[in-house]
Amino acid sequence: MLTKNATIRNQEGFHARPAQKFVELASKFTAHITVKKLDGAETDGKSILGLMTLELSKGSTISIQADGVDEEKAVDSLIQLVENKFGEE
Amino acid sequence: MDLVALINEQIISLELSAESKEAAIKIMADKLLESGFLSDRDKYVEAVLVREQKGSTGVGFEIAIPHGKSAGVKRSALAIAKLNEPIDWQSLDDRPVKMFFLIAVPQEQAGDEHLKILSSLSRKLIHEEFRNQLLAAKTPTEIIDIIKTI
Repeated sequence: MLTKNATIRNQEGFHARPAQKFVELASKFTAHITVKKLDGAETDGKSILGLMTLELSKGSTISIQADGVDEEKAVDSLIQLVENKFGEE
Repeated sequence: MDLVALINEQIISLELSAESKEAAIKIMADKLLESGFLSDRDKYVEAVLVREQKGSTGVGFEIAIPHGKSAGVKRSALAIAKLNEPIDWQSLDDRPVKMFFLIAVPQEQAGDEHLKILSSLSRKLIHEEFRNQLLAAKTPTEIIDIIKTI
């Protein structure tokens, strides 16, 4: 199991479109992926609806945890996606 | 976020028939216009469809949450539609959509309000019991009561 933190940097936060991009990428890995907020709320990283429940706005910190054979690649790719503002502003 | 404040019985459709997601969105936008939530229906529909082109708003569980922030919106609203026949929404899980929630937010309020409505709605929809009760509801009043209680 591997966990790393990332900060939401895009202006509008982790809303529907970023959630979809995150799930698209997360689903490419076999590892089980969990996204956690600092307040303890957590969700399945492969569920768009689940990610949207976290209400992550700009500046929020999340931890991305992956558990499985490709966990290292999964965490690194997902952290990069978040830190790069999901490819949007 | 009080979702009930964004809803009224006139913007809930329990037996919507539409051939495509575009057609379904337009029918519900007409209802938003009739109920006084929109000042410019076409401008609002365009914002929703442009957003849809950037990526489907299908969130899984046969549900979609299309949304648009637009100068064509007078005050925030949440329209709800259940479809007679499921329609393709290009969702990630490839399943057609049975029910959708159409969010309208005025341009000037766009930032935070938008995210709060999406999160509040998602926190309800994640519960299977909530989804099943909505799917079983027979009247708009029932839908509003379910949203109030869960």
